[in-house]
This record gives sequence, structure tokens and C-alpha cells, in this order.
Amino acid sequence: MPSQSLAYAVLFGHVAFIVVGALMTVLSQNLVRALVGLIMTLFGVAGLFFLMSAPFIGLMQILIYVGAVSILIFFAIMLTQSWSSGDEAQGPSRKRAVLASLTALAPALFLGLTIIFKSPPSLLVAEETEVSALGRFLLEPYILPFELISLLLTVAMAGAVILGFERRKQR
Amino acid sequence: MNPPFGIPPELFTILLALGLLAGFVGLNGLVLVYLERKVAGHIQRRPGPFEVGPHGILQPLADALKLVGKQLITPRGADKWLFWTAPIISFAPVFVLFLPIPFGPVLTAMEMDLGLLLILAFAGINVLALCLAGWSSENKWSLLGAARAVAQSVAYEIPLLLAVLAIAFQFGSLNLSTIVSGQGAWPWQWNIMVQPVAFFIYFVCALAETNRAPFDLPEAESELTAGFHTEYSGMGFGIFFLAEYANMIVVCAVATALFLGGWNGPAAPGVWWFLVKVYLLLLVMMWFRWTYPRVRFDQLLNLSWKWLLPLALINLLVTLVLVKI
Repeated sequence: MPSQSLAYAVLFGHVAFIVVGALMTVLSQNLVRALVGLIMTLFGVAGLFFLMSAPFIGLMQILIYVGAVSILIFFAIMLTQSWSSGDEAQGPSRKRAVLASLTALAPALFLGLTIIFKSPPSLLVAEETEVSALGRFLLEPYILPFELISLLLTVAMAGAVILGFERRKQR
Repeated sequence: MNPPFGIPPELFTILLALGLLAGFVGLNGLVLVYLERKVAGHIQRRPGPFEVGPHGILQPLADALKLVGKQLITPRGADKWLFWTAPIISFAPVFVLFLPIPFGPVLTAMEMDLGLLLILAFAGINVLALCLAGWSSENKWSLLGAARAVAQSVAYEIPLLLAVLAIAFQFGSLNLSTIVSGQGAWPWQWNIMVQPVAFFIYFVCALAETNRAPFDLPEAESELTAGFHTEYSGMGFGIFFLAEYANMIVVCAVATALFLGGWNGPAAPGVWWFLVKVYLLLLVMMWFRWTYPRVRFDQLLNLSWKWLLPLALINLLVTLVLVKI
């Protein structure tokens, strides 16, 4: 069946894109190139959401992570001026590299095994959820986590503002 | 229409649309360059381009040929890969941006329930290209231009989203075609009469997001040479330029669809009304450019965070209350 093989090609194309981006993020000795790798990964994940018929989540991923978060990271990198002669320009020691790869593999293994042995029924037949249904879920059954997250973000923002003011006073 | 070679019809529509859009974007680039130079000329009481062709109408073609013919130079010390990827990243989203725009009653490349969100999501990628261009050029002006681009686009994206959200709440939809067909034929039936504040905020933010004067600080030529694209020669610059004009068309097309009734018109609704409105908005943008002096950077940020953001929030709140009543 040609459409089946086409689907596989698209899926593994996305996976390859994500993996290349992730490797670039981890292995690059230049902060900006690492960020470009991270953006590639985030874009690939957005594509995966599209493949799983969740275009809303995919677009939100692009709007928030690619359009806002990574750009703010970029701003932070530009302010630090540490791209040519920082600690990150030297590669990590071998022990650290092994530990880091183990740390990365552990959740991947755990999640992979969970999916294989206890796959959710929605995995095989991807079904598009309407945006209005998503909104209702957020405001009815999941109202508590939703409000807690917004509280957390407000606290974080207030904290950042206070830290900024304190530093200004010291000058 | 039956697609050849057994291509699935949906894919064929999108491929056909992409081909047509590429032509549309290129042609519009030429027309807008000519218009911009003519408008600038007439506002400054001079004729503008006049020598190449009748009334200088072939001038943009000559400009384009010159740009294509120029040598591409990578500055010493620049990050070569990122330097040449940046213009491509700047131009690539343009095709996605045009897909959900309803040019006419049936002339939409891709009917999509999340069309508005798609445009907003992919419009943010342009800043990333500006950042990469500015950083990889290894040049102080470019870097300063990129830093300004980030601060500006982050500041103006929020009121823009809030202004658009007011319309989305009013119609309960993110589908641009639904929003267009919800408006009537005559100007007093358009959303601009119901949501004048949202239109004002949207248009100001759109000027800032497309880096148009008076908000053209990322490339302010009198302070930063050419800002983020100082080091680009030939088509490297040409692609940034084309992307900027394409983005201008996109923001004007979205404004037309959201606020000015889209393809609706008093007589014979169709794609021509849409194009007329888009071009009127583009002319207004050019008129602004040659009328207002460039704002200072602190004025730019204050305008967004202290005025437009609260205004957009109040507008959204009032809209919510009115929608619920």
C-alpha cells in the first residue's frame, strides 16, 4: 500500500529531523548553533503533533516555543556574549558525557516501555479533538491543574520583577 | 479538475496553490517596490523613478536583475552556515502564511479551522531569521539590529494577539472564511465599525511586526547602516526584502479579512474587492512611512507595554462582556 509507506516515510522523516536537531543541541560547541538545533527539535515535535491529528497543539507549540521561548533564549545568549570563550566552548569530560547520555536514556526507555506495554487506546486511531472541546476540558474537569499552572506562572513573573528591582537598588 | 500522475487531489490543490502563490508573491514584490518608490517620490514632491520604461514602470525589473546579478559575499568571521540559512528561514514561512487566507468566496488555498492561529504561529518565525542574520554577521550593527528586532517583536506580538482574539471571541471561530462571511457587503456592516479599537491596535502592531517605519528600528539606516542585513549582498538582501514585502501583504490581507469584510463588497463580491482593500492598506502603510519620523527605542517599548497592551486588554474585556450579554 503506497499511502502506508508514505506515512512511514513522513513519520521517520520527522523523527530524523528531531534527532538531528537534538544531537546538534547537545554536541554543538557554539551556543547559537545549539539553539538552532533546539528550534529544529521543537519544530519537528510540532510536526509530530500534526501527524497525530492535533493541529491545535502543534500550532501552539510553534507559537509558544519557536516564536516566543526560543527567541527569548536567543536574547539571553546575545546579552551574555559568551559564544566564543565560555565554559560551554570546551567539550565535556568523558565521565560527564556517559552520565548525561544515561540520564537522557532513562526517561526515553521508561516512556517507550510504557507505550509498548500499556498503549492508550487512542494511539492507533488518531482522532482530531475540536478546540472548543479542549477549552471545555480545561475549564471543567481539569480546572484545578489549569488554575494552579496560571498561579505558578504569576508567582514566577512576580518573582522575576522583584529580583529585577532588587538588583537595580543595589547599584 | 483531475490531478495528473495519480497525485491525491488534496495534495494537488496545495501544490497548485503554492505555485500560484509563488508567482503572486514575486509579482507583488515588483509592484510594491515600484509603488513604494513612486509614493515616496510624490510625497517628497519629486517624480520618483522615471527613466526605465514609461513612468519608470520597468524600474523594479531592473532592480531585481541587478540584485540577482550581484556577487554573494560572506564576511570574514561570519558563521557561514547560519549566515546563509537566515534569509531562507525568513522567506520559507511566507508560503504557509498565505495558505489559509480567503482571497475570494472559493479562492482559498487550504480551508482550515485554525487558519488564523496558523498565520499567527508562523508569522513569529521571521524574527528568528532576523536574529540569526544579525548574530551570524559578526558585526555590531547587525547584532544591535537583531537585539532590537527581538525586543520589538516580543513587545508588539502580545497586543496584536489580544486584538485578534477580540474578533475571534466575537465570531467564536478561528477560521478566516467564517469570519469574512459573517460580515456584510457594506462598510457599516464590517468589523471595523464594531471593533475600531481592535483595528487600531492591530494595525499599529502590524506596522511594528513587519518593521515598517515609524517602527523600522531593526534596520534604522541612519543609526545602524542597515541593521540586521548590513552584511548581506545581492540576493541575500533580496530575499529578506521580498520576505518583508510578503509579510506586509499577509498582515494587510489578515486585516482585510478580519476587519474590512474580506471579499465582500457593495457589488459583485469577489477576489477584486479583497485585492483593492489589501492594496489600500498597503498604500496607507507607505504613506505612514514617509509621514512619521522614526520613534526612539524607549518610546517604541513604552507605546506597546504602557498603552497598547492595557488598551487591548480593556477592549478584550469589553468584547467578552458584550458577547456574553
